[in-house]
Amino acid sequence: MKQLKISILAIAMLFVGAITTIAQTADEIVQKHVTAMGGMDAWKKVNSLTMTAVMSANGAEIPINMTIVTGKGLKVDYTFSGMTGWSIITDKEGWVFTPFAGQTKPEAMPEESVKQSQDQLDAQGPLIDYQAKGIKLTFLGKDEVEGSECFKLKAVYKSGKEETIYIDATNYYHIRSVTKIKAEGKEMEVTSNMGNFQKLPEGIVYPMSMDNGNGPMTIKTVVVNKQIPEDFFKPKM
Amino acid sequence: MKKTISFFIAILLAGNLPAQTKVNSYTFGALEARWLGPGTMSGRITAITGVVNDNKTLYVGTAGGGIWKSTNAGASFKPIFDKYCMSIGALAIDQTKPEVIFAGTGESNMRNTVSIGDGMYKSTDAGDNWVKVGMDSTEHIAKIIIDPKNPGTIYAAAPGPLWRDSKHRGVYKSTDGGDTWTNIFYINEKTGCADIAVDLTDPNIVYATMWEFRRLPYTFNSGGKNSGMYKSLDGGKTWRELKNGLPEKPFGRIALTLAPGSPKNMIAIVESKETGLYISSDGGETWKSQSATTNVVSRPFYFSCLVIDPKEPKRVYRPGFGFSYSDDGGYSFTDASYDGGWVHSDHHALWINPNYTNQMYLGTDGGVYFSLDRGVTWMFVYNLPVGQFYHVACDNNTPYRMYGGLQDNGSWVAPSAAPGGVTNSSWQDMFGGDGFWVQPDLTDNNIAYAESQGGNMGRIDLTTFKSTDITPKAGKNDEKLRWNWNTPIVTGQANHHNLYTAAQYLYKTTDQGRNWQKISPDLTTNDKKKQQQEESGGLSEDNTSAENHCTIFTVAESPLDENLIWAGTDDGNLQVVTDGGKSWNNVSKNYEAAGIPAQTWVSSIEPSKFDRNTVYATFDNHMYGDMNTYLAKSTDLGKSWTRLKSDEFTGFAHKIKEDPINKNLLFLGTERGMFASIDGGNSWFRMKNHIPDYCMVRDIAIQPQTNDLVIATHGRGIMVINDISPIRSLSKEVVNNEVVLFDSKPLPITTGKYGGGGSPVSGGWSGGNPDDIQPIEYYMKDRPTKDVKMEIYDAAGKLVQSIPGSKRKGINKVYWNQRMTPPKTASGGTKMDISGFVAPLVMPGTYTVKLLVGDKVYINKLVLVHDNDNKLFSEDDRKTQYTAALQLYHLHEELAALVDKINAEQRMIKDNQDSVKRPQTKKLLKDYNVKLEELRNTLLASKHKSIFADEKKLRENITDDYVAICSQECKPTNLQLDIIQILNDDIKKAEQAYDKLYADYGDKTKQTVKEDKSKKVTEPRNSN
Repeated sequence: MKQLKISILAIAMLFVGAITTIAQTADEIVQKHVTAMGGMDAWKKVNSLTMTAVMSANGAEIPINMTIVTGKGLKVDYTFSGMTGWSIITDKEGWVFTPFAGQTKPEAMPEESVKQSQDQLDAQGPLIDYQAKGIKLTFLGKDEVEGSECFKLKAVYKSGKEETIYIDATNYYHIRSVTKIKAEGKEMEVTSNMGNFQKLPEGIVYPMSMDNGNGPMTIKTVVVNKQIPEDFFKPKM
Repeated sequence: MKKTISFFIAILLAGNLPAQTKVNSYTFGALEARWLGPGTMSGRITAITGVVNDNKTLYVGTAGGGIWKSTNAGASFKPIFDKYCMSIGALAIDQTKPEVIFAGTGESNMRNTVSIGDGMYKSTDAGDNWVKVGMDSTEHIAKIIIDPKNPGTIYAAAPGPLWRDSKHRGVYKSTDGGDTWTNIFYINEKTGCADIAVDLTDPNIVYATMWEFRRLPYTFNSGGKNSGMYKSLDGGKTWRELKNGLPEKPFGRIALTLAPGSPKNMIAIVESKETGLYISSDGGETWKSQSATTNVVSRPFYFSCLVIDPKEPKRVYRPGFGFSYSDDGGYSFTDASYDGGWVHSDHHALWINPNYTNQMYLGTDGGVYFSLDRGVTWMFVYNLPVGQFYHVACDNNTPYRMYGGLQDNGSWVAPSAAPGGVTNSSWQDMFGGDGFWVQPDLTDNNIAYAESQGGNMGRIDLTTFKSTDITPKAGKNDEKLRWNWNTPIVTGQANHHNLYTAAQYLYKTTDQGRNWQKISPDLTTNDKKKQQQEESGGLSEDNTSAENHCTIFTVAESPLDENLIWAGTDDGNLQVVTDGGKSWNNVSKNYEAAGIPAQTWVSSIEPSKFDRNTVYATFDNHMYGDMNTYLAKSTDLGKSWTRLKSDEFTGFAHKIKEDPINKNLLFLGTERGMFASIDGGNSWFRMKNHIPDYCMVRDIAIQPQTNDLVIATHGRGIMVINDISPIRSLSKEVVNNEVVLFDSKPLPITTGKYGGGGSPVSGGWSGGNPDDIQPIEYYMKDRPTKDVKMEIYDAAGKLVQSIPGSKRKGINKVYWNQRMTPPKTASGGTKMDISGFVAPLVMPGTYTVKLLVGDKVYINKLVLVHDNDNKLFSEDDRKTQYTAALQLYHLHEELAALVDKINAEQRMIKDNQDSVKRPQTKKLLKDYNVKLEELRNTLLASKHKSIFADEKKLRENITDDYVAICSQECKPTNLQLDIIQILNDDIKKAEQAYDKLYADYGDKTKQTVKEDKSKKVTEPRNSN
């Protein structure tokens, strides 16, 4: 009889386990995610990321350089046919240069877009130390992304920007984000998918493939905390 | 005891055993349905509301297509409720916090085909996410009102279930912001709440109209002694009936509204023996009858919308059969004009922007209209693909055409693919009224058959769209013919010359409806008690053939034997004949033995294509209040039946479809979802292939040439999953592998079937086209965390192209454009050159596909063949094209190499220009640079900096020819070929020019710079 009680207890524990899973909070999910991504200590040291990548289009590869310095700036440039276009966002202003369409000098980004983009000046991403960054997270339950079960979190940034974050329930990697951008009276949704998670020498895990609807992008190199010159985020021709 | 303990241990361990991978909703997720819509005839709209302070955010609730949101005042919409119930009854926004929205599911326009809701939902993020908050069993919710002063208080009107008695009806209230709901006014199991109104200046004053109603499969009753108008002065705690001035009871449905700015002024349309319009100016205490036009008082059970302008208490709107408005508080009405085009009849929803009351949105049986002149004229919103199809059929054309009939929107036909995509304008209206079955004549490409409600059918000439009436008539000794609302017209599957239709008798024609033969006696129960349709409607007689009963509802000829015919009736008979129509056998008792209730509608019959004795059938008992999914199979011509069940099933069943190639592959469409089985019906999964989870699926067709699954939805138009071959071929053995790179059938090399001018669709709805090229498919058991890449190699082992792979769990598709990797083109200049994105099509042959998943490689062969369907492009033409394209490809690379040399020299000059000291050296560098720049300017467009500039130099000239030749599927023209030699000569000349320049300057410059920097130079040499 005692054995039977133990078995029943064990079954009861299973159910308790199930209930605990259901009651998982956003914070618990983020903690597990951060561990999967290399841990808080490793990520807290990250202040800048410098990446080289290629975007695939019809078999061609477009080289891309991305640099992000927390709180200071973000620059993305892409070269095609010998022409280089770029966009820059800093804590104060934003610039866009797209020579492919005949543009001859950089254009300033509208103030509201610059404001909306401020949350991107974060080399660590939103889930590292999210509370300190003023990001409010809500756990919205489980959902699926392309057949994979995910935890669905809603992040509301200080700027008001909303991002729905999907964390793969099996490995706690962040595999999709859906960002809602509201600016100049327009409302847009951008879906970004992440994959090919690689551990870097600095101990952090980084997604080496991304796709935000413009074409799949393969990240070739990531340099952590490279010294970035002061005038790097100035709109230079 | 030991046994018991072992049992428990077994249970515990079971959880840890390695599980077999199951095919589920996500396995085939990559096979996404195309939403063909269209938007040209939309569907029934049940609720519209907008955010007051931004003048542009709209939410539209539909009868069968969920909720659609616009953030640009209706210029575009997106669906925001696709994981939940598709039938929407009411919407409300907390205007103090407009991200809080409520959706009451279950439309309340209680027609015969109205669907069922499953409760109240709340979103706190403007529709991104939803939570069900109660009222689960009410099935229909008519209105939601949020107290604007205290948004925690919310009222909801629930008419409650239509088909059965229920306690889940009446007035509901929430006092916690909609998180919980309490029934605060209940009369009885037959009487629900049809409408509510709240005095917004004193929200404790609440009005409710209670409605006794019931539908049965064969009749509708609106009205009873329990219907009435009530008022509460204490927020719904106590209620008092309002009678003074109202007509004699019994009442039916009452629509009620008050003027927002002057809430004592009220108007009501009271269904009674003499349905009339009533006006009150004292908060409903006394009412005065007012004469009204037919439009104002017609069909009160169906038209329950009545709205007073938010600013002007005298301006009253009555969306009904048509649109009427009044400027004198309802004393007189006039009808809207058609200057903006015809406005679809049957109106159910109206939202007026309180900030700008000229702007309003109207919901009809045919979609949304908007007005900017207070409802006088209306313009149609062409971008809501929420059509309510009953049936769909396909012909064998290339591309095949899709035919279908829609609720209140006639019968239409459209190609499944078209240059520029299948857009609103691709659809052709072919028959009027409510549309149902449409059948193409598979023996005559120019003929199709269609019908309107109650069995009015025609033969349509598809070249002119003129129709001829072919409705069978009653013979001398026949009873009056009873045609179902949704009368079957069915083409024979064994003999395509056979066309069937049915009233209570089954008719067959073999000459396109010119001569009919009655091939059955009355196959129904012929229960006279169920044939009193002239009495149907209740207080307002309403007999539109929607309640016609004791009729044949579904007919199917065996694909293996034209003499084996099945007929199912709406009153439970399932009949079969094996001799073409002489000796009918009623097998209804046999399906009842399998646990399916008697007198159930037989909603579809699917005789097997693999065994003449095997048949599948669906049964729909919802009209008796039973929402279960009934699906059964017989393997002995109906003598015995096995019910096919699944925990996945939701909704009453409409259609079972057997795949024509894989006998174990079955598809089921229900009122709440699309399901599939790959094991003959033993297990099922919900299809979520870009199909809303609870989509109303009424009919399913499989087009035999393309293997497309064509789905008729009752609220989301036509959906097509292109080529279901991967579902057919996926075995249980395959799904247990980590990765499987599938075999591909030989693929023709093509740029796609269709061209088009390239202009984007301006507005409206586009369902796009099938894939231009066939994908390469693979299966992954789990989503990999590592990289996925596909590499294509030619027969010589040379890498042709590398393509990033998708990473989804289940089937994946990668599209190789059947081209090489684009050339390296000359960099620089002031104009973007597109050749760097364009590559020649490869030649037919055997290629090797390598799928790289992390560090594992999966290899398969892929055979590409010449596209023999393209009669204007021979294999010799292809060779000529390939050779020419390759020559130009190499010219680009030669030019790129030349420009690289120039660039390198100019970089050297730039690097040294400032650091050299001697003026002569500086001059030499400058001169060399000028010469190089002069040469470059002959090679690349460099003057103009605008996309509108048309400067052409050598690179642009090569590109012109290269892109033209690569993009077309025909032999290059003589001049396209001739110019290659000219371009080749130009390159050679440019290379010679560079060589000369380098000979004159190159080494000399470098030597001079070197000497300059080493300070060994005493005298500059002549630089020219």
